[in-house]
Amino acid sequence: MSWIGYGLRGGILTTHYPYGDDRMPEAYRGEIEFVESGHRIEAGEGGVADICLSQAIAEESIVSKVDTLRCFRCGECTRVAPDRFVARNHFEIARVAGSPSSVLRALKERLHSLGRSVHLRHVDAGSDGSEEQELNAIFNPFYDANRLGVFLTASPRHADMLVVTGAVTRPMLEPLQRAFAAMPSPKVVIALGTTACSGGIFRGRPEIVGPVDAVLPVDVWIPGSPPSPLSILHGIWVALGRTLAHGEVGV
Amino acid sequence: MIAPSTLQATVQRRIDAGARLACIFADRVGADNILYYVIEENGNLQTLSGPVFDAVRSLAVRVPAAAWYEREISERWNVRFENLPPSRPLTIVAPAEQLRVVESSEVSTLLYGPIRSGIVESVRWVVETAGEDFISVYPSMWLKHRGLEARFVNVPIALAPYVAEHVSGASASSHAAAFCKTTEILLGIEAPERARAARAILVELERIHQHLDSLAKLAEDASLSVGSAQVFAAKERVHRLLCETTGNRFARGTICVGGTRFDVFECLREVCSRELDDLQERALSAIDRLISTQSFMDRLIGTGTISHADAAALGGVGPTARGSGVSCDARTGDGYLFTPLDFREALEGGCDAAARTLVRVAEIRRSFQLVRNALDADPRGSYRTSFGLSDGEAIARVESPQGELLYFVRIDSGAIARVAVRGASFANWPLFVPSLRGNIFTDFSFIEHSFGALQSEVDR
Repeated sequence: MSWIGYGLRGGILTTHYPYGDDRMPEAYRGEIEFVESGHRIEAGEGGVADICLSQAIAEESIVSKVDTLRCFRCGECTRVAPDRFVARNHFEIARVAGSPSSVLRALKERLHSLGRSVHLRHVDAGSDGSEEQELNAIFNPFYDANRLGVFLTASPRHADMLVVTGAVTRPMLEPLQRAFAAMPSPKVVIALGTTACSGGIFRGRPEIVGPVDAVLPVDVWIPGSPPSPLSILHGIWVALGRTLAHGEVGV
Repeated sequence: MIAPSTLQATVQRRIDAGARLACIFADRVGADNILYYVIEENGNLQTLSGPVFDAVRSLAVRVPAAAWYEREISERWNVRFENLPPSRPLTIVAPAEQLRVVESSEVSTLLYGPIRSGIVESVRWVVETAGEDFISVYPSMWLKHRGLEARFVNVPIALAPYVAEHVSGASASSHAAAFCKTTEILLGIEAPERARAARAILVELERIHQHLDSLAKLAEDASLSVGSAQVFAAKERVHRLLCETTGNRFARGTICVGGTRFDVFECLREVCSRELDDLQERALSAIDRLISTQSFMDRLIGTGTISHADAAALGGVGPTARGSGVSCDARTGDGYLFTPLDFREALEGGCDAAARTLVRVAEIRRSFQLVRNALDADPRGSYRTSFGLSDGEAIARVESPQGELLYFVRIDSGAIARVAVRGASFANWPLFVPSLRGNIFTDFSFIEHSFGALQSEVDR
């Protein structure tokens, strides 16, 4: 049997997302939520610093907040204080900047000329190697981003979107800026992964220049360590103005 | 501790007697630099260490495997090695003109990367060529240096495995397991059997998805679209299984010092009983079909040859070295996580990209078997043991998908004072240089993907 016959025999694997629904397994830690009724954390002398390596939890007198761009979804807080922090299997977690509606309009306007297809250029600015594999996964038969008109391009000159993974290391600063400069306008930048969004556990370290938005104008943030392929598809859809970002109100 | 005057001579003598140099790293206690030489003798790791006050004698002239470690230490720790063979800087991102080695008007130097086509990690290749043939190819690394070894310092023990998972996210379970195993040896405890079985399953599943990734990329290089898509689909199934059991597609946040963070063995047993048969059948049928596709194997046979002697002398590990017939699987020595039943390492003698591919295919089969063995053993009892902190240092290893992964941990006054990581990909890059000799440009991506290296664990 030929490869084509073999491939056909496997049947259709592809998700209908974003046109239809899809979901992550129940156990998936897509986002950590603070539950207001819970008890305060008493985790040793260091308090929250003892349970949150990326200092994503701001513990205030009554409520706590989980900074979703800093959180790398280890789940430590949900195990230490299960009545206060709960993991949700959400995957539509991409964020956009500032006042959502104005950015959404600007993005839509900027992307209007692109028509239906969009070309991505990826730059690794200092990732842990898993974000690349998840970005690659959106082209596997389960997600097949090509069906949505999403393609990879070898050159930043043909790119509509720059997808940056990892907190920006000092040696990668110049190559990243040059790739951005080489792109034609409109230039959309997506920060992919917690370390790209906020620096994650490397925030403030001397080896790091900063998160991607310290260097380039980021339009969409997709947190996660690494973000799942569905989250990446959602983030691209948000950048294209075809769906709303997390917490965003329709225009 | 060995006196500075005799340390290198002692290491040299042990290596002459048949020991293998696994790693050299440095530490600093007070104002003194301490050098550690890690050697493997009869399947067990040993460290020889001593302070360095002045220059030390380089081992690299007689032990080529020492060269990259000595170069890294000389650049990062201000330790001077006498007679270290000259080479390009390893950890300093140097301008192009400093990276040249061959001075000839016939030879042109190309810098390839760090931004290349496709979705790849950042590494810059320095290619010297006289036309179609490669004369010399060197990775100029450290672009992704995030200071991970320094990041470990003073992190609470409970959270430190999360840092290990950041060293290489794609082989996070191996890194977390290696860190935890090392720390447990240091603290004089052992994780319960149930946790060790779960760790072994997670590391074997990780080996399966990373080997599938390498095979799918090779199929992609050979323009075998359907083959590549089918192997990537098999990889996706492994990630889905891991996500269902651990809540993360790379099983991050699961392994901790003293065991596992929750009863992941139970989750694995439940999900694997439903899904493992189908996953295994689909993965094996795709890769069997791949290696029996002649047009695919033709691109690999004779490509990127590394002689047995080079692979052994340069200190290669993992499938890269085993493809050249070098026996080096840590799972046959002290690198296993859960007592393996009748484990035999996969060896091939072809020395080329095809041999490395066949090693991966054989290892995927055996990994499925190891997963089943561990599931069948079904050890009862707790999944986590409690421990008190104590000072000391320890070294241990785990066979990661890329090969032997070494961790060194030193705890001082109840806090992590030094962690050294020797990723398998770091040990393998020196083999890349001889593997490209006599090959042409179009072979490059095949050779690169046949190494399956992860740059994040090299640059750290």
